[in-house]
Amino acid sequence: MKIEVKKNIMATNASVAIKNRELLLEHGICMVNLMASPGAGKTSTIVKAIEGTRGLLNLAVIEGDIASEIDSLTIESMDIPAIQINTGGSCHLTAAMIASALDHLDLDALDLIIIENVGNLVCPAEFDLGETARMMIASVAEGHDKPYKYPLIFREVDAILINKIDLLPHCDFDLAQFRQVVQSLNPSASLIELSCKDGYGSDEMCDWLRETASRNRADLRS
Amino acid sequence: MHEYAITESILEIVQAEAARAGGGSVDEITLVVGELTTFVDSSIEFYFTEMSRGTAAEGARLRFQKLEAKAHCSGCGADFRPHNAFFTCPQCRSAVFELRQGQELFIESIEVSEPEGQDTRGD
Ligand SMILES: [Zn+2]
Repeated sequence: MKIEVKKNIMATNASVAIKNRELLLEHGICMVNLMASPGAGKTSTIVKAIEGTRGLLNLAVIEGDIASEIDSLTIESMDIPAIQINTGGSCHLTAAMIASALDHLDLDALDLIIIENVGNLVCPAEFDLGETARMMIASVAEGHDKPYKYPLIFREVDAILINKIDLLPHCDFDLAQFRQVVQSLNPSASLIELSCKDGYGSDEMCDWLRETASRNRADLRS
Repeated sequence: MHEYAITESILEIVQAEAARAGGGSVDEITLVVGELTTFVDSSIEFYFTEMSRGTAAEGARLRFQKLEAKAHCSGCGADFRPHNAFFTCPQCRSAVFELRQGQELFIESIEVSEPEGQDTRGD
């Protein structure tokens, strides 16, 4: 006997993601899903974001990357609430994991939540977490052909950080070509050059976070 | 790797559907997979074999139907199939387009055999 099922396998995740997003919007919170390959510098980027928005935004971090060099304790030592998610070895976070992390945060006291997603560009792009913005890091050390390998994720993010820009003289990374390909894939994405090492571009990134967070609040009022 | 979670969901849906149909065993599951997703068939099969043990879906055959990607160019209005590295309109070279198909993942249908015992009860 044949049974027509026609059921979306991602539907459960999608419905939890919608609930997360509603909850965030109710509280006027911006949640940024930060995605990158291993070694692209997610944690040091988050540290820069914490330093650059201190006193301006109330921030929390949801730490999804077990392999991250700096764990949630380090972020807590900067006086920032941090929730470590145990993914149980999974290659991506799910909306349900984020929902239970949100349970542990004082949402009334927050403006911005950054999710450090697990370190790869393939899996996280397929799972909506309920984030209100998506940011990815591409580092100069990884080469400028990344957009060719992962065109989908480049299409779906709101901001792209080109990290380790200080290495530019030492790599055969073609910045002009990278910018051109990314802009053709995703004309509305913000492209920000960053060096977590010397702090170059950190202000621009923090401005972007502040603008994105305040746009969220404006959405709330309207 | 994220096929683990996917397979878990597939199994949940299939078991619920099979139970609703009277509790027979599942012989075949037809999945529709958009070509722009990154799910690997053999990975889903691998997890499925492991996870379906002892359930009504144990031993079921998985059939994968690929769905071609379809895009509609926002510039010139052409319909095309975005694939490989070059996500651009073949007609006007624009990369601004609406993706209309290619990212789906759903269970199309399942084949369930008659529940054991039901048709032999009269014997
Ligand atoms: Zn066109």
